[in-house]
Amino acid sequence: MIAFSRPFWPLFLHVLGAMLLVGAIFTAAILSFVGWRRADLAFLRRGTLWALVCGIPAYVVFRAAAQWIYSKEGWSGHNDPTWLGIGFIVSDAGLLLLLVTLGVAFWWNRSGRAVAGRIVAVLSSVYLLLLAVAWLAMSGKWG
Amino acid sequence: MLHITAAFFLVGGSVAAGILNTLAIRAERPSETAFLLRLVRVTLPAIGIGAGGTIIFGIWLWHELGFGIGAGWIWASLALWVATSALGSAGGRHQEKARTLAEQLSAAGDTSTAELKALLRDPRGNALSWLAGLTTLAILVLMIWKPGS
Repeated sequence: MIAFSRPFWPLFLHVLGAMLLVGAIFTAAILSFVGWRRADLAFLRRGTLWALVCGIPAYVVFRAAAQWIYSKEGWSGHNDPTWLGIGFIVSDAGLLLLLVTLGVAFWWNRSGRAVAGRIVAVLSSVYLLLLAVAWLAMSGKWG
Repeated sequence: MLHITAAFFLVGGSVAAGILNTLAIRAERPSETAFLLRLVRVTLPAIGIGAGGTIIFGIWLWHELGFGIGAGWIWASLALWVATSALGSAGGRHQEKARTLAEQLSAAGDTSTAELKALLRDPRGNALSWLAGLTTLAILVLMIWKPGS
């Protein structure tokens, strides 16, 4: 019901960006897990990198719209609800995780080293889990 | 929360299927195309759970939140949900056809043919998937906008 009081565009862009980001990270996780056993298949490495690159604009839309809602609703950082804190932690730490995953995926694509693919598989799965925690916290308004 | 989780499964799974399909179209060899189109199947449980969850929890919320039976935006969303499912299924059948041909070519020298390229880039087949994406986007618009409420 809270969505009723929210302006359309920032909420729409925030949710859309988050869903596209989840899709991109899910794809990277699928391809890197398959690549875990089939490191010889170069197109899996390229595909993983491509999927993670798709995640960048999705992240920008999702994060910018989140800030837009935050400013519009007059939150100050003092006594913000728990769900908002979880959202901020996951989105900001998530950017670091996304960039590190992208860097390792670039290394995997260039070198073909199996260990790099395994790191990408683990990092993208962790990021996907964190995103799930964030959407559960935000939609359930935890705290 | 459950309705939104289901929506994340549906849209996230659909986006993953779309990215894998795009990679399959751009792949150099039929074996790569076939491999990537087989991977689309990994996304199907997420899409199925999402599609089922959005409709079940959505109807539950309709009752719980007390929206009237005449809420036009909910009926429009239901119609779009049916359209999305039909378009997505038709798009999936088109991809299956391309996967079958790619597997045959993969076993016979792994060289692409004009027929496979035409099937992968078939505007009508791809339009089905794009339209399914657009109807999903329209549902998201209605769910957030809630016109008339």
